[in-house]
Amino acid sequence: MAKDRLAEVLTRWEAVIGLEIHTELTSLQTKMFCGCPVAFGGEPNTRVCPVCLGLPGALPVPNELAVEATVLAGLAIECDIARYSQFHRKNYFYPDMPKDYQISQYDVPFCLGGHLDVEVEGEGAKQRAERSGVTETDAGYVTRIGVTRIHLEEDTGKMIHVGGSEGRISGATHSLVDFNRAGTGLMELVSEPDIRTPEEARRFASALRLIFLSLGISDCSMEEGSMRVDANVSVRPWGQEAFGVKAEVKNMNSFKALHDALAHEIVRQADLLDGGGTVAQETRHWDVAAKKTSSLRGKEEAHDYRYFPEPDMVPFTFDDAYIDRVRTRMPELPTARRDRFMRDLGLPQHDATVLSGDLALAAFYEAAVAAAGVGRARQVSNWTLGEFSAFLNEAGLQADGAGIAPAALAALVALIEDGAISGKQAKDVFAEMAKGGGAPEAIVERLGLRQMSDAGELEAVVDRVLAANTGQVESYRAGKTGLMGYFVGAVMRETGGQANPAMVNELLARRLS
Amino acid sequence: MAITEDQVRHVAMLARLGLDDEQIASLGVELNDILVQVDRISALDLADIEPTAHAVAQVNVTRTDEVRPCLSREDALRNAPQQQDGAFLIPKFGA
Repeated sequence: MAKDRLAEVLTRWEAVIGLEIHTELTSLQTKMFCGCPVAFGGEPNTRVCPVCLGLPGALPVPNELAVEATVLAGLAIECDIARYSQFHRKNYFYPDMPKDYQISQYDVPFCLGGHLDVEVEGEGAKQRAERSGVTETDAGYVTRIGVTRIHLEEDTGKMIHVGGSEGRISGATHSLVDFNRAGTGLMELVSEPDIRTPEEARRFASALRLIFLSLGISDCSMEEGSMRVDANVSVRPWGQEAFGVKAEVKNMNSFKALHDALAHEIVRQADLLDGGGTVAQETRHWDVAAKKTSSLRGKEEAHDYRYFPEPDMVPFTFDDAYIDRVRTRMPELPTARRDRFMRDLGLPQHDATVLSGDLALAAFYEAAVAAAGVGRARQVSNWTLGEFSAFLNEAGLQADGAGIAPAALAALVALIEDGAISGKQAKDVFAEMAKGGGAPEAIVERLGLRQMSDAGELEAVVDRVLAANTGQVESYRAGKTGLMGYFVGAVMRETGGQANPAMVNELLARRLS
Repeated sequence: MAITEDQVRHVAMLARLGLDDEQIASLGVELNDILVQVDRISALDLADIEPTAHAVAQVNVTRTDEVRPCLSREDALRNAPQQQDGAFLIPKFGA
């Protein structure tokens, strides 16, 4: 899908996008309404009980931490927490749902009316900012995406369709149902239709993911399905108030897929309307291999879920004391952390953003700064984002599983800053650390890398070099100052590359003046 | 209040019940009788009555997040008409 095509379409059509984001509460020990453990995968139907299998007479009891997690998520994005709330039954039939109803929430969800400010930089950001009257920043713009609600429900089981192509239901001869996932706590966030571009959608979803990760309520894996993003998309001519007919797009299991599916769907709808056609209100499936969306169901039945209050559970009331207690669990959120890195540690915005955008890396960095001292926060950041991140990417590791302790990186930075080794030597030391070579001090000793910083020792070498090159010294004094590099090189050769370059320069300059 | 045959068919479809015309007609009559009974509530002045969410006057009943024993897979699948590889086998459905 050509990027230019989307840009062209968006000059004539305004896209209107709302997201529904389902997040499994994977950090909980147990499911939403029963004591079965929460885990990914495993042998089918080994984490099930009468409650999550929907056996007659089994009674659900809500997990207190699931309720807390949802309230915490609501507080993080400035929702109003309901004073009175309850669960409802949502009635529909599907083989992955054993009870033939899903316990969900209806008119009184736990959280209502929050918002998230999304920052967009890069190509086209300025034009978008001018067009839509959002807040411009140095690098792009900030747009506020409203959150309609967050409610709590239970996840369904999983099906494997047998006999069709690529596990799709069409053409399957039969299906296998695994209820291990059924009944897992599932938080659904519904955004307002405030999103205008695929990039905004991607940024909104990834910012939310980072917040939920910070709250420690889910592992938010789009690949494993613990975070699932569906999008409602429509287009309308610029300036038109009324919404166009929307399609719901599903099956995006990465942020890139979310972006690409939306870009494709916006262009598809615009092409339909440009050609005099109409958009059908339907659910469409994103096919990542074919890079297109296709209609999921031939015939769309009007939903009739017949919600009614869940009679097996009593309602909830949340008072200030409860909400305040949950609020005490609120960690520092990613944007606050970024701002602190800029304000207190003097990091540039880009570096602070990258660090705070990866929780493991940020924790590593903070620990390394604690060991190195705040005065070296910049240098530690440079090493964390430079050699260390390159190593993580290459090895496919997370910062907390890389076998390099934050204190070790701090020690390496200290060796450089104290003049014991040069920056170039430090890269060799780091390469050894990455191979499990031990503490940087020990590597320096072992490799004989210790930088020669003893003034007396260096002076002797400098004098020796100058005495052996009297001709060049005369030329230098006569004005050929370009010979400085020659002298530095000679001293470095003489010391096997271990001389402290800054000191060599200083000594030479003094001797030759 | 009168329920139409179309409404009976719609409800039957939602409940995935295959009913013939005779059943639609007789169930329509029965549903109507029930609705007539329920309709009597409309005669009451309930303006000042809070809707009741639950018959038990309790709130905030939860459990701690502790693992409890699951069923064995053998027990879990005991009622399955068909099974395969430890999963419930269901016939072809949908598209």
